Amino acid sequence: MYAYDKYDHALVNSRVAEFRDQVERRVKGELTEEEFRPLRLMNGLYLQLHAYMLRVAVPYGTLSADQMRTLAHIARKYDKGYGHFTTRQNIQYNWPKLSDTPDILQELADVEMHAIQTSGNCIRNVTTDQFAGATADEIADPRPYAELIRQWSSFHPEFSFLPRKFKIAITGADIDRAAVKWHDIGLVVKKNDAGEVGFEVLVGGGMGRTPVIAKTIRDFLPEKDLLSYLEAILRVYNEQGRRDNKYKARIKILVDALGADEYARQTEEEWQKIKDLPIDFPAEEAARIKAFFAPPPLQVLEDNVPAVDELAKKNFIFGAWLKNNTNQHKVPGHVNVTISLKPHGGIPGDATAEQMELVAALADEYSQGELRISHEQNLILPHVAKKDLPAIWTDLDEAGLGIPNAGLLTDMIACPGLDYCSLANARSIPLAQELGKRFDDFKRLQDIGPLKIKISGCINSCGHHHAGHIGILGVDRKGEENYQLLLGGSGAEDASKAAILGPGFDENGVIDAIEKVVAVYLGERTDGEEFLATYRRVGPDVFKEAVYGTR
Amino acid sequence: MARKIKGPQMIVANRLLDGRVVFMKADGTWSAVAGDAAVAADEAGVEALEVLAQKSADENYVLSIEVIDATERDGKPFPAHMKFAMQAKGPSVRPDLGYQVSPAWEQTDL
Repeated sequence: MYAYDKYDHALVNSRVAEFRDQVERRVKGELTEEEFRPLRLMNGLYLQLHAYMLRVAVPYGTLSADQMRTLAHIARKYDKGYGHFTTRQNIQYNWPKLSDTPDILQELADVEMHAIQTSGNCIRNVTTDQFAGATADEIADPRPYAELIRQWSSFHPEFSFLPRKFKIAITGADIDRAAVKWHDIGLVVKKNDAGEVGFEVLVGGGMGRTPVIAKTIRDFLPEKDLLSYLEAILRVYNEQGRRDNKYKARIKILVDALGADEYARQTEEEWQKIKDLPIDFPAEEAARIKAFFAPPPLQVLEDNVPAVDELAKKNFIFGAWLKNNTNQHKVPGHVNVTISLKPHGGIPGDATAEQMELVAALADEYSQGELRISHEQNLILPHVAKKDLPAIWTDLDEAGLGIPNAGLLTDMIACPGLDYCSLANARSIPLAQELGKRFDDFKRLQDIGPLKIKISGCINSCGHHHAGHIGILGVDRKGEENYQLLLGGSGAEDASKAAILGPGFDENGVIDAIEKVVAVYLGERTDGEEFLATYRRVGPDVFKEAVYGTR
Repeated sequence: MARKIKGPQMIVANRLLDGRVVFMKADGTWSAVAGDAAVAADEAGVEALEVLAQKSADENYVLSIEVIDATERDGKPFPAHMKFAMQAKGPSVRPDLGYQVSPAWEQTDL
């Protein structure tokens, strides 16, 4: 894992001191709310429905057991004993006091964490594959690049007041677990014919009220040119992105207006002007950063572990967990474990301080003291020896964290919705809870197979409904919560936009509709065909007819 | 110029120091309980409430002041719109948290 150097420490500590002073001035009345608001947002502090909300970055989703224990400590000391892991590999606290936030930020700084650039019109936390550096299907670990981007983008003077927020995601594997095509910039690590590492560069993806899938503007960018090329992309956007209308201010609107080819041409033109300036990282700096992410010294072990197989045969839940919640590690005999934060009837992404501490202890014992957050709001123990799985699952199960639903229908993304969020029009969490109860049968879930449901409580799409195999969008219809049903989206390498199926429903109605959609799928699928493939093959009409009847 | 109102109005805000939801009472002080809120039935009444609320904002006690539609629940004022009703009650998915559990914090001296 990356360790702060003296510059990182100095920057983060000085930011805490600065914010402490700003909070004091606000409380004394020396700063008005109008003056203070942009300052607090720069430090991740929002005002939500019931209280302030502090969003803390987990850079590219990697954290240590000690850092997780600090997150638990903050939840207990300053909040109400829990935190919420988000689709951007952040954690949000729902109840911090303004007067406590400088202390919280100092506790974070002490373990090399911060909330800088988790809000505002700047480059946000760079996100990546939760299995980065640990998965068998990877070309290169994307995290060193993510860290270089973090350093380049932190306090970048030119890009601190962009037309709108800016999100970058990077994947090192062909299987895209980071939804890179839905980001302002998506980077896909590639190797060229000479075996050199570089990136396919995509721009202009985004969700919100105008969902757009990013377009490739460069097939192969050598790794040494990464930062100068990103700088060129951002310069074109910063200069021409719209500032007159916040709903048209994201880069996707500019890319659409100019066309991807023209955006690529302007980026190239800008890049030619700046590429020889000292923007890119020197080779020795890249090597220094990469060394922090050196693979842990894992022993090659047997992939066949009889004790694991026997328990899987005896215990259906463990067997399902083994199948769904473990991912093949690049070192034989090892896996990455997905700890589902989607208990049936629970709140997606929420974890109590006690659960965080348990996971931290398991990381110390079984996963080299390392943890990950996925954009699907789950926790990951990387680098786990397969032989340790029964012990890990037993501990998780006792804490309510042994749910075997990773990648299945109840492993939903849901935004906080109207229960917490001041932007929301409808609640999201109760839908997720009700779906969990309706489908609380692991044999049935296993039979249905991989299916991604994503729920947003408003058009801003924090719950990624556009990218759901089944998406749900909550709207306010004459003062009542109403839910639109969308089908056919994907956040993976085969990204697609989900389409609205028909008129909306109330809460029970939309869940009944999902039951009907699943029934159609089960009836129509061919052997081994997953939900999305069936939908793409048969089209929406058969689903529409089942849900709405013949009209 | 007085603006048109469609029905009874009340004022909600968040307390500066902890962000907690507060409803303004007739004397310009604040309560965690929506039922304590002052309700204005006409434009002049709303403007008078707004002046009082702005005074609290100027004194750095509250922020995010909203004039909202009021209805009645159990004979007492309550926010009409579901968003503000959520503020009055706390998150529906955590009935163990929020103001529905203990509104007594309103007396807390911050």
